[in-house]
Amino acid sequence: MDWAILAAAPADRLHTRGTLQHLTALHWSLTSLHSAQMSRIELRDLTKSFGALAVVDALSLDVASGSFVSVIGPSGCGKTTLLRVIAGLEPATSGSITVDGDSPRVARSHKRVAMVPQQPALLPWRTVYENARLLLDVNRGANPPEATEPTPLLHEVGLGDFLDAYPHELSGGMQQRVALVRALTLGAPLLVMDEPFAALDEITRSEMRTLLNRLVEGRGVTVLFVTHSIAEAVALSDRVLVSSPRPSAIVADIDIDLSRPRSTDVEDDLRFVELCASVRHRLHGGMRS
Amino acid sequence: MSRRLLAPFVGIVGFLAIWEAVVRLGDVRPFVLRSPSRIVAYLADHFGDYAGAAWVTAQHALLGSLIGLLVALVIGSAMAASAFTEHAIQPVLTLLQVTPFVAYIASVVLWLGSGTRPAVFIVALVSIPAFAFAAVDGMRGADPAARELLASVDASRWEVLWRLRLPSAMPSLFTTARYNVGLALIASYLVEGGNFANQGLGAIGKRAAALNEGDALWGAIFAMAILGTLALLSLSLLQRLAMGWHVSQRTRPA
Repeated sequence: MDWAILAAAPADRLHTRGTLQHLTALHWSLTSLHSAQMSRIELRDLTKSFGALAVVDALSLDVASGSFVSVIGPSGCGKTTLLRVIAGLEPATSGSITVDGDSPRVARSHKRVAMVPQQPALLPWRTVYENARLLLDVNRGANPPEATEPTPLLHEVGLGDFLDAYPHELSGGMQQRVALVRALTLGAPLLVMDEPFAALDEITRSEMRTLLNRLVEGRGVTVLFVTHSIAEAVALSDRVLVSSPRPSAIVADIDIDLSRPRSTDVEDDLRFVELCASVRHRLHGGMRS
Repeated sequence: MSRRLLAPFVGIVGFLAIWEAVVRLGDVRPFVLRSPSRIVAYLADHFGDYAGAAWVTAQHALLGSLIGLLVALVIGSAMAASAFTEHAIQPVLTLLQVTPFVAYIASVVLWLGSGTRPAVFIVALVSIPAFAFAAVDGMRGADPAARELLASVDASRWEVLWRLRLPSAMPSLFTTARYNVGLALIASYLVEGGNFANQGLGAIGKRAAALNEGDALWGAIFAMAILGTLALLSLSLLQRLAMGWHVSQRTRPA
């Protein structure tokens, strides 16, 4: 049985150093087998309007299981609304939407969607550890079997010495790392991130890109990531969707064929620069139309 | 830290010293204004009586305030949850706040009997409006991003209330508690003067006023002041323990 899985794994993913990475490679191959059967998110002619104002217009989209998909577009183009609809926080006006084969409402009630908001939204009266547990502590009955204790993850993101610290004692980057752990610790198959690094300085943003790549690679989670930053979208994603101004429509769907695992160096890659240019052109083309 | 403790002490001693000086140098007659030294001496002579009475008054004020707080949290939660409820309850609370409770003490005593019950009832009643308004403000002020986050995992209303809204209301509740301490003590004092139980500082004050015993009356006033100071100190301590995370409780910038 083990051999069968190994055989199914792409060869380049087996060139790994340690046991942990070996397991990681197995996980990857399992999720890619899974993705052949279903896509994590399916939108069919999704429309969302507020009164007469159409924010998302007849959008169709498939996001494969285990892939990292970014949506990039100008401010106010309805990206956040799209995320909220997919997360089940806002009903669609028309069209259909499934997350893992279920309605977003059902996915939400089973805690299968983990959100990372733009602001870290840490509770000031909870310690770092308690904040990282927050999503596990509510609606406990629905905790997915994959849910984990946050402590190892907090160590992994470099917050091991701050488990008992309060949010006000942390820098912006550290706060956002707690928010990342809070989402990952839930063990949800879908991660929904709304410009999570927008409020951070450029140096911290670059660190967070590397960290997020490291955390997500090998975890098999599907990520839907909204951003304003071209470099961020390209560095993180398997696929970048370029959105037009309101009402939201996808004007380009660009495959990011950079190899994984990705380190900070990926941004020095010539291919990275080409991909950024291509996203930028489509973005500006979309804004003119 | 020592300067922090010294400052209020200097303020109170300074105030009493000026008072003492005005009475002595101005040769003010005792029935107009007594000197603080005379009042303190009287209090020391009757320490047992006053301490016992102060304990009764403290219990009335504390129990009444706690009941008032609990009721206010329930009312505040209902008001924060629905605009209709808020608009329905708001005028009733305002009515409670602006009517002179002294005027209906006698009716409450007739209704609930003499002793502790009317005192606790009136204290609770007068504590409710300010606590309820503070609870509503605090709960409404809960971080919208955190609300969205809890909604994203389908947290129940009760969980949102307990995990987010109530803790968010703590700062405004503590601020209101500092104001309500005075109100609760005065309400206890006034009810004790009219509840035929002959217990508490209010009973001593009432009797002293009726019999024209100035020393006993001023002793009750001073005992009330000391009780209030102790209550506010305890409240500060509690706030420090419960809200160490809050901006207002930090001694140094983060």
